[in-house]
Amino acid sequence: MRSSLVLIAILVAGCEQQPVQTLPERTWTLTWSDEFDGAVGNSPDTSKWTFDIGTGAGGWGNAELQYYTNRQSNVQLNGDGHLVITARRESYAGSGFTSARLKTQGLFSQRYGRFEARIRTPSGPGVWPAFWMLGDSFADVSWPQCGEIDIMEQRGQQPAITHGSVHGPGYSGANAKTKSYGLMVGRFDTDFHLYAIEWSSDYIDFFVDDYLYQRIQPSDLSGEWVFNQPFFIILNIAVGGNFVGYPTTATPFPQQMIVDFVRVYTQS
Amino acid sequence: MKTPSSIVHPGLVLLSLVLLISGCGDRMVDGLSAPSYPQRGQVFIDDFESDLIYAAFGGSDVKAFQVDYETTYNNSRASMRYEVPDANSPQGAYAGGAYFSRAGRDLSGFNALTFYIKATQPATIDVIGFGNDFGTSSFQVALNALPVNTNWKKVVIPIPDPARLNGERGLFFYSTGPFNEKGYTFWVDDVQFEHVSDLGTCIGAMFNGEDRKVPTTEKGASIRIEGLQATADLPNGTMLTISASPSYFNFVSSDTSVATVSPQGVVQVLDSGNATITAWLGAAMARGSLELSASGTALIPTTPAPTPTLDAKNVISLYSNAYTNVPVDTWNTRWQYSTTESAFIKVGNDDVIRYYNLNFVGVEFSSSPIDATSMTHFHIDVWTPDPTPNPENVKVMLVDFGANGVYGGGDDVSHEITITAPTLQSNGWVSLDIPLASFSGLTTRAHLAQLVLSGTVSNLFVDNVYLYKTQTSPTTPAPTPAYPAGDVISVFSDAYQNVGGTNFSPNWGQSTVVSQVSIGGNATLLYTGLNYQGIELGSRQNVSSYGFLHLDYNSANATALQVFLISPGPVETAYTLPVPTGTGWRSVDIPLSAFAPVALTNVIQLKFVGNGNVYLDNILFRK
Repeated sequence: MRSSLVLIAILVAGCEQQPVQTLPERTWTLTWSDEFDGAVGNSPDTSKWTFDIGTGAGGWGNAELQYYTNRQSNVQLNGDGHLVITARRESYAGSGFTSARLKTQGLFSQRYGRFEARIRTPSGPGVWPAFWMLGDSFADVSWPQCGEIDIMEQRGQQPAITHGSVHGPGYSGANAKTKSYGLMVGRFDTDFHLYAIEWSSDYIDFFVDDYLYQRIQPSDLSGEWVFNQPFFIILNIAVGGNFVGYPTTATPFPQQMIVDFVRVYTQS
Repeated sequence: MKTPSSIVHPGLVLLSLVLLISGCGDRMVDGLSAPSYPQRGQVFIDDFESDLIYAAFGGSDVKAFQVDYETTYNNSRASMRYEVPDANSPQGAYAGGAYFSRAGRDLSGFNALTFYIKATQPATIDVIGFGNDFGTSSFQVALNALPVNTNWKKVVIPIPDPARLNGERGLFFYSTGPFNEKGYTFWVDDVQFEHVSDLGTCIGAMFNGEDRKVPTTEKGASIRIEGLQATADLPNGTMLTISASPSYFNFVSSDTSVATVSPQGVVQVLDSGNATITAWLGAAMARGSLELSASGTALIPTTPAPTPTLDAKNVISLYSNAYTNVPVDTWNTRWQYSTTESAFIKVGNDDVIRYYNLNFVGVEFSSSPIDATSMTHFHIDVWTPDPTPNPENVKVMLVDFGANGVYGGGDDVSHEITITAPTLQSNGWVSLDIPLASFSGLTTRAHLAQLVLSGTVSNLFVDNVYLYKTQTSPTTPAPTPAYPAGDVISVFSDAYQNVGGTNFSPNWGQSTVVSQVSIGGNATLLYTGLNYQGIELGSRQNVSSYGFLHLDYNSANATALQVFLISPGPVETAYTLPVPTGTGWRSVDIPLSAFAPVALTNVIQLKFVGNGNVYLDNILFRK
């Protein structure tokens, strides 16, 4: 188990990677994880994950095109310790695409700490993979008052760029507080990368492969800081929608998001 | 890396012996290293790189390419302009050429050729790529059917395996024809090899990614691996497939005692057994494979095809020992993408054409097109050792080049017939007699110019390819009727005075061709390709005091025939005549009562309905 990670000293401008980042240490204790060990074809652990099924209201508010299912063809373990979410171009229940969206809502949520996942993302125009969180108050106060933290979102037509964002009252949708991080060499869909946030009462730090590329503090926001409650985790591939645009005939399908692990820590 | 001194080469050994004997001493060869090439990626940025030569392809418009100083990408100094000619332009039918380096380049540090392109109109560039050096072009990569429009756009053509390009001369080539018969202009700028950091993985494919099975091949056979491709994940997340030369791939045989593969992708079958051929591009296995089962000896027919028995005068033969054959240009056109190999073999004393690795094969006789308008059937004998359960098939296509007699021109027609089990059999001659009428898309057949054979079986033996007509004209005239002239009203007969003014070919919209032929000096009415046909009597006839309609008819190929009597109204009634008649004439005397309720006092017309070719004579009413 990892016991130590680091604190920021330098805030970095833009996407360019500095050769050395010197960050003071933070000490973490693992509180929840899924390593996705299990036989090939198995569904993910039902004590940890539940599913969103269907098309949501207005394509989950984003005019997304996919129908989410919990079928094996859309979500299963691959037997090598990975969770595989597969987005397909197929006609299903009136939609032109299928995919899966897993969440820990009602099963696990946590306020503050480190949330990380090691993921190989899919690509292709109109493909929108995400590792993100919503506040527990989602059911009561609705979005965006509940708050949203997007640890990883990508546009499949830009497979070398990832985005980290927060949404809340007064800064949601296209006006979210967001930052992009681009790879100088390579792409996110060819290898696993570690996407993480470290979150406390007055900051959220965004990391790719333990490189800090964004810190968000209450003073950075044009609205209320709504990140003082437990948040639950969501993993999904959306197809189409306002963020990513729509798939073209050239978009290769099926597309897979392969998750090695999801781990959550609290600061000791 | 090997130095020349470490390579054992018989010629070199011999040479050094000679040198020693002549007392000239050793040449120092240890210090030599492999030639190194400049690691330059630029091809055309604002001008040609100094090592570059342009040459136009044969038959192209040699002036299609010019340097342009006005339309450039990003307001740079110059671009390359290509003027694609109109169709049939006397200057050349297309634009095409290659840029190659005099000295060669080391491109192993790059992963793609990139350039910007725009055109005066939306169009499709047929082929564009690199690796064409006007020599062996071992490392050619081609992007086919590149869509372009009036905006500059960047094109990325990945290098399938850059490590192999350490002395490449072919830096850029293109070839494209008119778009919808019309010429246009396109520009290319900033052509360079570069390392595109967000270019994804490149996966190879053989046979376009298919797992090809050749269940029956033999010792000594060779099979060319086709459809070599590489598919790269472009920076925008889409996939691009390019065609690539065999030299980019490593080919692997699962059993080299059964089959080996040359670096050029030609599989040589060495012995009986099973082997699977796969290809590797870089460190990854390519998609697709070739699975073959070889026998030690060829699987060929043990008996010749049945000898045709038709009279030669009713046959147009393309390939048969039984007939004199018409000229055929080739029995294997080797059209692009055809993998088919062919050989002329003997089975006993019979000449047979052997096709193997068949996917499709063209047979062309366009220099002497065949007029098959009078023919009724296409015949071919086929034999295959391959399994033939449904849906395994053999397909036969006939192509007519139309009135202009040449390919194209908008008047070409064709039709393909698919043969499956139970007609299709393994290890036995299958004689196919296909009515030309079944080739429904073959709406003309006066200029037959091609036969295309294809199907799922990879081995096909072919014999007795001919067209024929089943209808032979009667050799004897219809029997002359002996009824007293006073008891007869004759419509068509040489034996009586016929009703004057009768129209034997009224235009009722029929497709039947009406003619009169002389058989043994006796005028005979012939309906060719009958669908229906009328006879308008020159004057209305009262036959109420007559007993019978008499006629003589002959048809070897009709499967339906009816005769109608018609009175005004029209009131008409059919009488069915048995067909076919065989070779002889058939005479019928139909009681006129059979035509009720036709008004026998006022008969104005007759009509025949049926098919095939029908000869008629002695159509008359008698007492």
